[in-house]
Amino acid sequence: MSFVSDSVPASPGTPPLAPFLPDLPEPTRRRWLRWLVLAQVLFVLGVAASGYATGAWGRTIWLRTTPVDPRDLLYGDYVTLAYTISQVPGHLWRGAQPARRNQAAYVLLQPGSDGTCSAVGIYPEKPAPTPTQAVLRGSVQQVWRRSLTLRYGLERYYVPEGSGKKLERHPRLQVQVRIAPWGQARITQVVPDSAAHE
Amino acid sequence: MSRKLLETDGQNWVEKGIISPEQHARLLALYPEDAHAVGLLPLLGSLLVGLSALSLVAANWQGLPELVRLGLLLGSMMAAYAAGEYFYRRGNDQLGLGLVALGLILFGAGIILTSQLYQLIGYDLTGLLAWAVAGMGITWVYRSRLLFLLTAIISGVVQGYNTGQLGAFSYLTAAFTALGLGYYWWRRPDSLTGAVLASGLLWQATLLVSYLHIKLTWFFVPAMLVYALGDWQPHRPAARAVQGPPLVAAFLFTLGLALFGEADSYTDELRPPLLAYLAALGAVLALSLWGKARRGRLSSATDWLLLLPGFYFRGGLALAVATLVVLYAYSGAVLARAQQEHNPDRVTLGTVLFVITTAVAYFKLTWGFLDKSLFFLVGGLLLLGLWWYLRRTAARSASSSASTRP
Repeated sequence: MSFVSDSVPASPGTPPLAPFLPDLPEPTRRRWLRWLVLAQVLFVLGVAASGYATGAWGRTIWLRTTPVDPRDLLYGDYVTLAYTISQVPGHLWRGAQPARRNQAAYVLLQPGSDGTCSAVGIYPEKPAPTPTQAVLRGSVQQVWRRSLTLRYGLERYYVPEGSGKKLERHPRLQVQVRIAPWGQARITQVVPDSAAHE
Repeated sequence: MSRKLLETDGQNWVEKGIISPEQHARLLALYPEDAHAVGLLPLLGSLLVGLSALSLVAANWQGLPELVRLGLLLGSMMAAYAAGEYFYRRGNDQLGLGLVALGLILFGAGIILTSQLYQLIGYDLTGLLAWAVAGMGITWVYRSRLLFLLTAIISGVVQGYNTGQLGAFSYLTAAFTALGLGYYWWRRPDSLTGAVLASGLLWQATLLVSYLHIKLTWFFVPAMLVYALGDWQPHRPAARAVQGPPLVAAFLFTLGLALFGEADSYTDELRPPLLAYLAALGAVLALSLWGKARRGRLSSATDWLLLLPGFYFRGGLALAVATLVVLYAYSGAVLARAQQEHNPDRVTLGTVLFVITTAVAYFKLTWGFLDKSLFFLVGGLLLLGLWWYLRRTAARSASSSASTRP
């Protein structure tokens, strides 16, 4: 059977509800193809631009990770990261209603004395931070009795070639994240916890 | 008649003097050799060339500057589309569509690799949805089954990745698959795309049920909605193709219920709130029956036997027996319809279903042999009665049509 020659007419006898869709005439087809390819190129460029802009103009914060179980962090070409703010105490929830799974959660972050951030409040709507604070958008993954599991979309770090094994030896890491004014966040750097960041 | 048969048996006919060698040659000329095998060669060739280029780039990927990587991704994608359109316009459909498909795959690769380049993971959800939408657009532009198939696979993979890796179900992806590919199939009915469409939608329904942590029997509401879509499709073979996957799922589920329902230990997992479930399924049933009535196919309403919610029974053994009765009724109905339609394929199907059901009944029912014996006696008598009745009606209709002939 060929995938290509598929001009199957509707069976005779029963009148088709909608007329059989004919092939597009060539000029129309080429015009649509051009628009579609252009849209795809622009989309990929958009992804790249948003990533670049977040790295260039984003606000820098440092986050601390906790050891991941299983210990084998390196998973193909990326390492799996779990942050101290991935599991937060339930009393930090500031919503009127109790938190639900898959709900958006905005985490208000306050830098500590060592420069890494910890969560001071979790909001269902974007809160207004003070100049020292930052807001990171995540989603509620699991609601426990006393805590919430959050996901930020920062749980994977695609390692530059060869450095994965080096990171894997350290149980705790510090991660530099940049948050764009429009909320997009991306990892820009991952260092072992012992190495003090400047 | 196939060329292969002519080639192998034709020689025999010539030897037996049924046809002359010249006639054999003339008959062979009527069935020219399939050109598709030849059309496949350039496709495979270009695939190998593409793979070689891909390996070369992949080996040096990390060392390339960001802009070069981006340029390579976009350039190869545009080149694949342009070459595809070029060959398609020249009438080389297979190669052309193969290259367009390659362009679509490269678009996905572009999104994924660019996201990795900038460590953007949260972006994947929208990014991958864009891939599925682009696939639908390309399918609509080229009206091709190959691209339809690829888009259905992409949508399924995107949804699987969303639920499995990102922990989120993309309702937009599901809606786009149902509407974009569904409407395409509706306007260009076809068996292959119908089966692909139904399988893809059932896969997404499965993911939705597991994502929402709801009772797995809810699966049958969207599944039977897909089935009902087939009821409204005027093109008969395409309608059957789209109804196949939901029916297979329903049959396997009922079979599982007959096999394991007796234990009654986990049937609680199968019981959604009674009223809500029955109302939802009832609405789909009404839609399906309405479609069947409009298209004059009410006799196929017996398919819905498989959807009888027997799992609400708390009886254990009673549940298993009731399920077996339903399975017998269903396979009997398939047989009866096949006889009426004089469709040998469906007779085979009905017989296979009947044998499977009987095997399950024999090995699963933990009754005394006397009860078993009685059960099978009743079943056998029913089947014999059905067979006799069908033979009689067939004979009567044959004789009546013979007597009306002048």
